[in-house]
Amino acid sequence: MLVVWLMVVALAGSLVTLVVPRQSAKTVAAILGGIVVALYIGLLVHPGQGVNVAWIPAWGIRFHLGSDGLSLFLIGLTVVLTEVAILASKPEWGRVYFFWILFLEFGSLGLFSALDLFLFYIFWEVVLIPIFFLLTSWSGPKGRQAAMKWLIMNLFGSLFMLIGIVAVAVIHTQPFGPLTFEISQLVHLHMDARVTPWVFAAFFLAFAIKAPLWPFHGWMPDAYREAPAPVTALLSGVMSKAGVYGFLRIMLPLFFPEFVRYETGLLIFAVIGLVYGAFMALRQTDMKMVTAYASLSHIGMIALGIFTLTRVGILGATFQMVAHGLMVGGLFIILGFLEQRTGTRDISAMRGLNASAPRLAAYFLFFALATLGLPGLPGFVGEYLIIQGLVVHHVVFAVIAIIVLVMAAWYMLRVFQGVMQGPEGTKQIADLKAGQIWWIVPLAGLVLLLGVWPNGLTSHAVPSLYHAVHLLAGKGGSV
Amino acid sequence: MQLLSEILLLPLIGAVSITVFKGLMPKKLPGIWASALVGISFLLSIAADVHLAHLGVHHRVVTGNLWTWISGFGPAIGARLYLDPLAGVWLLVITGVGMLIHIYSIGYMHDDPGKARYFSYLNFFIFSMLLLVLAGNLIVLLIGWALVGLASYFLIGFWYHRPSAVRAAKKAFVMNTVGDVGILLGLALLYLHYHTVGYPHLFRILSAAHPGSAFFEWTAFLLYVGAMAKSAQFPLHMWLADAMEGPTPVSALIHAATMVTAGVYLMARLYPLLRLAPNVHYLIGAIGAFTAIFAASIAIFQRDIKKVLAYSTLSQLGYMFLAIGVGGYVAGVFHFMMHAFFKALLFLAAGSVIHALSGEQDINKMGGLFKKMPWTMAAFLAGTLAISGIPPFSGYFSKEAILGQAFNSGHTLLWGVGVLTAGMTAFYMFRLFFITFFGAPRDQTLYDHAHEAPLVMTVPVMILGVLAVVGGFFGGWLNRWLAPTFARYPGASHAGLESGPVFGTILTVGLAVIAILLAYWMYVKKRVAPNAGAATGLGRQAYEAWNMDTVWAWLAVIPFKTIGNWLKPVENGILEFVNGVASVVWLWAADLRPLQTGYVRRYALSIMVGLGALLAFYLIRA
Repeated sequence: MLVVWLMVVALAGSLVTLVVPRQSAKTVAAILGGIVVALYIGLLVHPGQGVNVAWIPAWGIRFHLGSDGLSLFLIGLTVVLTEVAILASKPEWGRVYFFWILFLEFGSLGLFSALDLFLFYIFWEVVLIPIFFLLTSWSGPKGRQAAMKWLIMNLFGSLFMLIGIVAVAVIHTQPFGPLTFEISQLVHLHMDARVTPWVFAAFFLAFAIKAPLWPFHGWMPDAYREAPAPVTALLSGVMSKAGVYGFLRIMLPLFFPEFVRYETGLLIFAVIGLVYGAFMALRQTDMKMVTAYASLSHIGMIALGIFTLTRVGILGATFQMVAHGLMVGGLFIILGFLEQRTGTRDISAMRGLNASAPRLAAYFLFFALATLGLPGLPGFVGEYLIIQGLVVHHVVFAVIAIIVLVMAAWYMLRVFQGVMQGPEGTKQIADLKAGQIWWIVPLAGLVLLLGVWPNGLTSHAVPSLYHAVHLLAGKGGSV
Repeated sequence: MQLLSEILLLPLIGAVSITVFKGLMPKKLPGIWASALVGISFLLSIAADVHLAHLGVHHRVVTGNLWTWISGFGPAIGARLYLDPLAGVWLLVITGVGMLIHIYSIGYMHDDPGKARYFSYLNFFIFSMLLLVLAGNLIVLLIGWALVGLASYFLIGFWYHRPSAVRAAKKAFVMNTVGDVGILLGLALLYLHYHTVGYPHLFRILSAAHPGSAFFEWTAFLLYVGAMAKSAQFPLHMWLADAMEGPTPVSALIHAATMVTAGVYLMARLYPLLRLAPNVHYLIGAIGAFTAIFAASIAIFQRDIKKVLAYSTLSQLGYMFLAIGVGGYVAGVFHFMMHAFFKALLFLAAGSVIHALSGEQDINKMGGLFKKMPWTMAAFLAGTLAISGIPPFSGYFSKEAILGQAFNSGHTLLWGVGVLTAGMTAFYMFRLFFITFFGAPRDQTLYDHAHEAPLVMTVPVMILGVLAVVGGFFGGWLNRWLAPTFARYPGASHAGLESGPVFGTILTVGLAVIAILLAYWMYVKKRVAPNAGAATGLGRQAYEAWNMDTVWAWLAVIPFKTIGNWLKPVENGILEFVNGVASVVWLWAADLRPLQTGYVRRYALSIMVGLGALLAFYLIRA
């Protein structure tokens, strides 16, 4: 039940922020977000059963929410990053802004805990809305354009997913009787070999656009660039995981034989994104864009882990989703602080800022090192597990992946050093304020904890993770 | 086991406490606090080694799990620590030499505004290096491995307002990342096949295997790439010369005595794997010998005091890898230990010189300093004699052990390269010594202001000086200490110290003496200008380090940037496509334009209405 309470508080909280005085909206939102975080700690201690009631009985749609090894830590990522985003936002952005942020939290929580395919689809669409409005109204000059791209591409994808969902449910009725959207039931499906590739593609397209995976990332550069830093953090930290989560929650259980059949193709597809993102990151001059393309590269890495179809690769992908969300979320927020202070995102327009803002530089470096996969921090853990999965059958891809890790060190340090080091420029900026440090420290602490003690996550996620992705025996049964 | 965590934790506590409280600390405290913690760590390390010595000869291992690092896909990997005699040697050198350099730094960094930051980095380095050495499996080793790289990055770029320091730091980090990912892939392969990366367990399994399969060659090669990057073996050596941008005590501690020898440690640690990969094992020795002579050829033409020492470090690391490659593991460790003494000594003495000349590093501006700095000169001379392999100084014993082993094992070519390099070493080191301390001052103003370093700096230098002189007599003790460790698993039958043929010793020492006389004749008698010969021809190429930077730029940097540029049009195409689709939709939606009022309130209202409708639907159905 607790997982429902999280959502109720987020939804009710979003409405509450609409009616409080304008100047206290941020404080109220932060308190409500804090309550959700506190409830989440309760959920960690008592994972519980979730809720499963009939919703639209005529179509066999059920209101089925729950958390397991796959979703539990993504829910945690959502609540933590939402709270961080609220705290990093400016109070003058107003009530409606905070309403949308909490509403987005509600939608994301629903997305990650839905166990009914139709319910999943509802939340899949629900999260489009807050992002769309956050992009149109609180963004840079091209915000509206970015919002349009976001909406059109994602609606395009989800349209196909809807067709896929209906197809799956209808085909399922033929041997098994009444209509159902319950994922755990649909896995028994046996589809006609002529239909399957199309249904597979329909789902795949939707998830690949949302993640985004190369070459479906057309909406990404504009949206990441134009959105205010906290929203970019949520986009890359939480929303990108929704797409990857779809692969794990829905596609792996439903289409495992197809994954096996297309394995090499899928790996090539993911590895192109991995390499492509790294090369683009290397050539960007806008510091936010470097991180955006780095994120594209990392999502490719996560997909690579999934497509190995090994336990360890999937565990790595699951770990990396959470780790990447926290790291890149922190990084985008730090970049946002920098942009606020300097008024630019151009790397060449900044230098030597470390002298006037040593603390900002230190946290910048911390999140940059985490993102580039420094051993001892969580990025390394995820990358290790994914590479451990790749070496089982695909050493060549493992070699490409490690080359990209070297590139990551190169492009991240290029940004950090370009901005923070070198001779001091004419510009002096303010360092982090105490009001910012008190919540950045716990975020950094969480990242550090995940890196030093990854077992805290992995031991909780396994074995319900393998159960959730239906990878208990067979090919993935080994490592 | 408790002792191990404390040895590790003390420097970490120092690093964290200085970082957090540096604003509150009195100016002198960070240096004293950091040195004291490393000092206690040193005493505990002695205690740990004494404890080890009390165990039976074949049971000298202390190990334990701190916590489970990861689990869920195979046998769990623990945060495991492991101390055996091999780690014990490194432990003493890291904390012992580390402590001396901390103390020296109190004087050297006295006037630097960032000295609190400096000492927190230095303590962090000690922690990371100890973690690397005390690791009980390859994962923990890799974490320590990367963290020493990070500490090195911090300290090379310590003066971050200098563009050259920033560039050098980045280069060191990226080149070291090449090594890190090599180890990562290597350990992943080992885990895949053996379901463990823990030391005693992995070695037991490897001991039962038969050599010759490609798997072992590849795994060993990947791990060797890690060692190559960290220990600056050709062709991943360029970063070490640039690393001299850091403060001189850092060069002494990290880029000479300890961190750069991590590769030697790893290879010595993995000798059961090297047994199974004979080709890689030979390659290690061959690249080691090549690095030794290659770096020596560069050192002869350098005109920056620290650059000479940096290339000599490269060259000496080559000797250590040569020892590993010919199976003389104890000789390699012996040379590591002696090198830690005499090279730290040389760097610190050079640091005193640089300090005295207010930061000048160009030997063209030195000369005649023996009158001003007699103690430093004496210490530098001790170090120079040691590195040149003149008996009975420390370097003589360890270098003889390596060359003897190379000869005895039939690697005549590698032996020959080693002998020749010994002569070159004596020449470039005495060239440096004579130019710096003898002859007439080349820059009168600098000379007039030169002064002997304060006690806090000279005392550590003197202690290292004594060790550099008498260190060689530890050889027998070291041999007895390490022999059982290398006898535990097959693959190191000739690990112990051996003496080579007498003619070899005569040849090596003779060459060194001739080289010294030549240097004396050239730079004291004839007063040849320090940079003569570096202007044209091969000398110019050698001065420019055989242009390896350019080679790397053409092999790696430029291709990567070019590919990035090629991909830009692709990216633009993808983005334009989306733009096109978006504008089509935009036109198509023109009829619906009136709905797009842009008022967020209205949008919000519509959504609320929609949600309400859904809710109503639900209620009705229920």
